[in-house]
Amino acid sequence: MKKILIVCSGGMSSAIVVKALEKEAAKENMEVKVKAVGTGQYEDELRNGWDLVLVAPQVRHRMQVFETTAKELNVPITLISPQGYSPMGGAKLMKQVKEML
Amino acid sequence: MNKFFEIIEKVLMPPMTKMAEQRHLRAIRDGIVSTMALIIVGSFFLVIAFPPIPALAEMVKPYLGQILFPFRLTMGLMALYASYGIGNSLAKSYKLDGVSGGILSLAAFLLTMVPQVMEGVGWVLPMGNLGGSGMFVAIIMSIFAVEVMRFLQTRKIMFKMPEGVPDSVARSFEALIPAAVIITTIWIVRHLLGFNIQDFIMGVFKPLVAASNSLGGALIPILLITLLWASGIHGVSVVGAVARPIWLTLLDENINAAANGAEVLPNIVVEPFFQWFVWIGGSGATIALVLWMIFSKSQYLRKLGRAGLIPGICNINEPIVFGVPIMLNPILAIPFIVGPLITGTISYIAMSLNLVARPSILAPWTLPAPIGAYLATGGDWRAIILVLFNIALMMFIYFPFFKMYEKKLLNEEKQQEELAAAE
Repeated sequence: MKKILIVCSGGMSSAIVVKALEKEAAKENMEVKVKAVGTGQYEDELRNGWDLVLVAPQVRHRMQVFETTAKELNVPITLISPQGYSPMGGAKLMKQVKEML
Repeated sequence: MNKFFEIIEKVLMPPMTKMAEQRHLRAIRDGIVSTMALIIVGSFFLVIAFPPIPALAEMVKPYLGQILFPFRLTMGLMALYASYGIGNSLAKSYKLDGVSGGILSLAAFLLTMVPQVMEGVGWVLPMGNLGGSGMFVAIIMSIFAVEVMRFLQTRKIMFKMPEGVPDSVARSFEALIPAAVIITTIWIVRHLLGFNIQDFIMGVFKPLVAASNSLGGALIPILLITLLWASGIHGVSVVGAVARPIWLTLLDENINAAANGAEVLPNIVVEPFFQWFVWIGGSGATIALVLWMIFSKSQYLRKLGRAGLIPGICNINEPIVFGVPIMLNPILAIPFIVGPLITGTISYIAMSLNLVARPSILAPWTLPAPIGAYLATGGDWRAIILVLFNIALMMFIYFPFFKMYEKKLLNEEKQQEELAAAE
């Protein structure tokens, strides 16, 4: 099973993207655990062991901060494309996830 | 128009996001955010104390004092809680011990106070400046405490514990020298030299706070937030990092006036003003656009509008901003940026003429706007009217641009269908 952490500003909007990604993964019979967190909980949560970090486009200005922690813990990290960050963008996001894993 | 986005991206964004990512401002934001649950729950006791229904208000009147205690001990001590949160975040950002940073900040803040003796009670602390009005004092003192801590630690001025001493014990000793330096310094300045640190810090920030409570003070953050969102950056998170201490200071004045039973509150430009009257359905008041989208002839817009309706009611609009998209969209960015300036101006005028009560309560931001506005104004039904009026106005503003964009999408959808049919 792949554990994917999504980080956005408050962990609210990414909850919608979590659902879109889970749906897409189910279609492809891929086992995933997806969780959304806000920027405040990010560092602590990342230490719990994740396979991939996805960063919401609206917090891309904090990418550097996120990257530093991810590198330290050796977790791959990528920015979600704007088109992938929408209820209709599940397929696009899935493609990004597959490229990273 | 592409040039316009380029300018935002190259000129406006770098300094703003850099400022929001600045270590101290980030610690202030995270520290204040960590107190939000207390502030939201605490301020609701104000609604219980002054219910909007007259009969109910009469009923609870004899118990006013008791009902307001949870409010006074949460919202009323906001700066106290925040000083711990800020110290904790800032220390952590330096990879120092967060708990020590928080506690030292708390002490640094409290040491700016002068305890009083009250007959029959003993020593008491005046609570006046422990709430929102003391926010800037808490911020400065927390930064001072953690910076002292860091200074001493980087220069290795500290007690070294031998190997094998448990972490928690070692930690309490590590904070010893910083504590001594912080306490003594503030004690000398405040209590021996008699320099009123609180008055000084509050005096420095006073002009800024006063300037923020104006029409310009309302419109500048509105414009910056929509400009940032139009380039796909979380505007509220960036602008709020800088403006929130000011908004909280203004809110605190309102809430104190409300707790004292005032009819008209002093300030307009507080966070609930933006939240409920301008950012209806999310920044850019996108709920108005969603209401057009759910009936759109374009299949894509209709589907997305229906998916975005419930989140929109809860003021979450990332699906719309990135899905439609509004981000970097020269057609829809215009109403997204211009509309809120108009509804912001109207709301400001309505409140300055006292047609609608000024906000005093911090309600959870995911509530539907009419409910949030009603609660935020301490139960003024006219707030609901203003919200509905602003939605209608935003629908009117979005309409021509929505139609233009819909036409563009319909053309594309038709072309795709033709392509599919030809294959």
